Amino acid sequence: MNEHESFHHPGPSRTETDSPLLALDNLKTHFRTERGLVRAVDGVTLTLNRGEALGVVGESGSGKTVLSRSLMGLLPGSAVTSGSVKFAGQEILDLPMKQRRHLWGAEMSMVFQNPLNSLNPLMKIGKQIAEPLRLHLSMDKANARETAVALLKSVRIPEPERRLNQYPHELSGGMRQRVMIAMALACGPTVLFADEPTTALDVTVQAQILEVIGEQRRDRNMSVVLVTHDLGVVAGHTDQIAVMYSGKLVERAPTKTLFAEMRMPYTKSLLKSIPKLADPSHTRLATITGRPPDLVNPPKGCNFAQRCPYARPKCHVEEPALEPTADPNHVFACWYPVGSPEFTEREAELEAAGYVPATVAGVS
Amino acid sequence: MKFWVSRLVGAFALILTVSAITFGAMNILGDPLFNILGPTAGDVSNPESVAKIEAAEAQFNLDKPLPVRWALWLGDFVTGDFGVQFSATGQPPVSDLIAERLPRSLMLLVMAQTMAVIISVPWAIWSAAKANSAVDRTSTVMTFLLIGMPTFALGIILKYGLSIRFDWFPATFVANDPFWTRAWQMFLPALTLALPSAAVYQRLLRTDLITTLQEDFILTARSKGVSKRNVLFKHALRPSLFSFITIAGVTTGTLIGGALVVEQIFRIPGLGSAIVEAILREDFPVVLAIVMIVTITFVVLNVLIDILYSIIDPRVRAS
Repeated sequence: MNEHESFHHPGPSRTETDSPLLALDNLKTHFRTERGLVRAVDGVTLTLNRGEALGVVGESGSGKTVLSRSLMGLLPGSAVTSGSVKFAGQEILDLPMKQRRHLWGAEMSMVFQNPLNSLNPLMKIGKQIAEPLRLHLSMDKANARETAVALLKSVRIPEPERRLNQYPHELSGGMRQRVMIAMALACGPTVLFADEPTTALDVTVQAQILEVIGEQRRDRNMSVVLVTHDLGVVAGHTDQIAVMYSGKLVERAPTKTLFAEMRMPYTKSLLKSIPKLADPSHTRLATITGRPPDLVNPPKGCNFAQRCPYARPKCHVEEPALEPTADPNHVFACWYPVGSPEFTEREAELEAAGYVPATVAGVS
Repeated sequence: MKFWVSRLVGAFALILTVSAITFGAMNILGDPLFNILGPTAGDVSNPESVAKIEAAEAQFNLDKPLPVRWALWLGDFVTGDFGVQFSATGQPPVSDLIAERLPRSLMLLVMAQTMAVIISVPWAIWSAAKANSAVDRTSTVMTFLLIGMPTFALGIILKYGLSIRFDWFPATFVANDPFWTRAWQMFLPALTLALPSAAVYQRLLRTDLITTLQEDFILTARSKGVSKRNVLFKHALRPSLFSFITIAGVTTGTLIGGALVVEQIFRIPGLGSAIVEAILREDFPVVLAIVMIVTITFVVLNVLIDILYSIIDPRVRAS
């Protein structure tokens, strides 16, 4: 039996295969706070095709989580959004909450960072998975139960029938994240937002969870937005990567291109801050000095300039726009990108001065 | 199973301890002979009154050492015999007095707590759903007003407003009326007890609901497309009930023998007035009987609360 087929239900997007599934145009999400307007997402433009996986990468506070929540529409009341988000050709940003809710769980769903807190501790697994099925697909109890078993099986949970009557606390973290994924996939959404889905899990489980998400994406021709701080996580599991810094997109490229020829010094720093297996032990881990800028009063010029070892006076005054490279799919925002004469010159200077990227004090 | 056995043993130990302490404490308070014999109780100048005193002491077991009297009382108590009142006649027996008063107190209690729950739960949900809005802030002021107002003031306001000024509710209780008439007569007294309790429950439940609504699993439920109403009722309410249940249990235990003021205002001869009268008369067996009723109520309620916890939260069941 092909258990995946039975979950599919016709969404609006299935008829329009040529337009991108998600198209963001100058999306802004600002929060009204006592300190002022926090520009958590500040003008993001990108598109995502059906079946494609997009990695959204950045530090904590870069706006990547707010970006994914804005696409869903799951934002607190203090949020103000502007710009445009088209889902299967239809503008969804200004949809009233009541209508938007019908997309949640049905057309788009979300997997969260912490599987230990993301499931209702007082509700049986089976009931939690059945909830969206009964809500969106009006399944009866028996049918929903059967589907829940198939879903659990598809995310490789052993003894699925038994799990239905178990509570979340009886399952391990990895199992709970699988349950979350099964629940998110229940109604056959066209796009899955996974917000740091593996951060709270240990490394072996991380790989399994990413595997399951990738498998489901291929089986269901579903799009995935994978939000993470870890370039290593997105490397093998996405088609396209968007690098975010202080609410803005600073570089976007197909995954292979990005790793082969990244242009933005920030992307490079992110990559450098991943420990590598090839490094001898006790190698100092490269880190990015300083902290992301204040989102209430962003600095003039390039937001990254203050922390960028390659910054020049212009960077502190003028903000670079997103420019395409020779490949129109690869865009970046930098005055002196990796590979430019100024960059190479500065790198030579830094090396001559014995510059080692800043380190975490005391770690050796 | 082991848990429940140890709970049961603990409950019995508690009841025994409370009875022993009450028994001992009352004997320090005063001399019950005074109320049994009147002013001659202390007169040891003539043999006639001494004989009377000795006869009374023998009749009421007052000539025996304290532990023996406690043991004798306990032996009777477990058979349902609460002894005789410390008065000249000793009539009616304490058991009869309790049988007359307890049902009234129980009825008042059940009505009051039912009202408190009916008022507080929807109120708390409403407040939590609209946290920090005008509705919520007004509710906060109202609850503090109800909590801060003394019972006698609230009782008199309700009695004056709803019964004397507008004749909507009966003002007093008549012991011989039929059951449903008596229940109707208890409406205002129950409401007087219910309003401050409801305010406390509202505060607790509202705060717990707001805390629960911040949890990750609430976001998960919303991301599944569950409506705000169903998020509140199906996901947020159950995990928020713990403090509410705990305090509702304690309040119930307190009300069974502690509704004196309301009983006075609405003329209901219940356990609250009975225990105060008995303390003033040094009528030890009556005091003891009511203290035991309150204690046993508390013990039973605690077990009920534990059972409720384990029904609500599967993690309690496991541990």
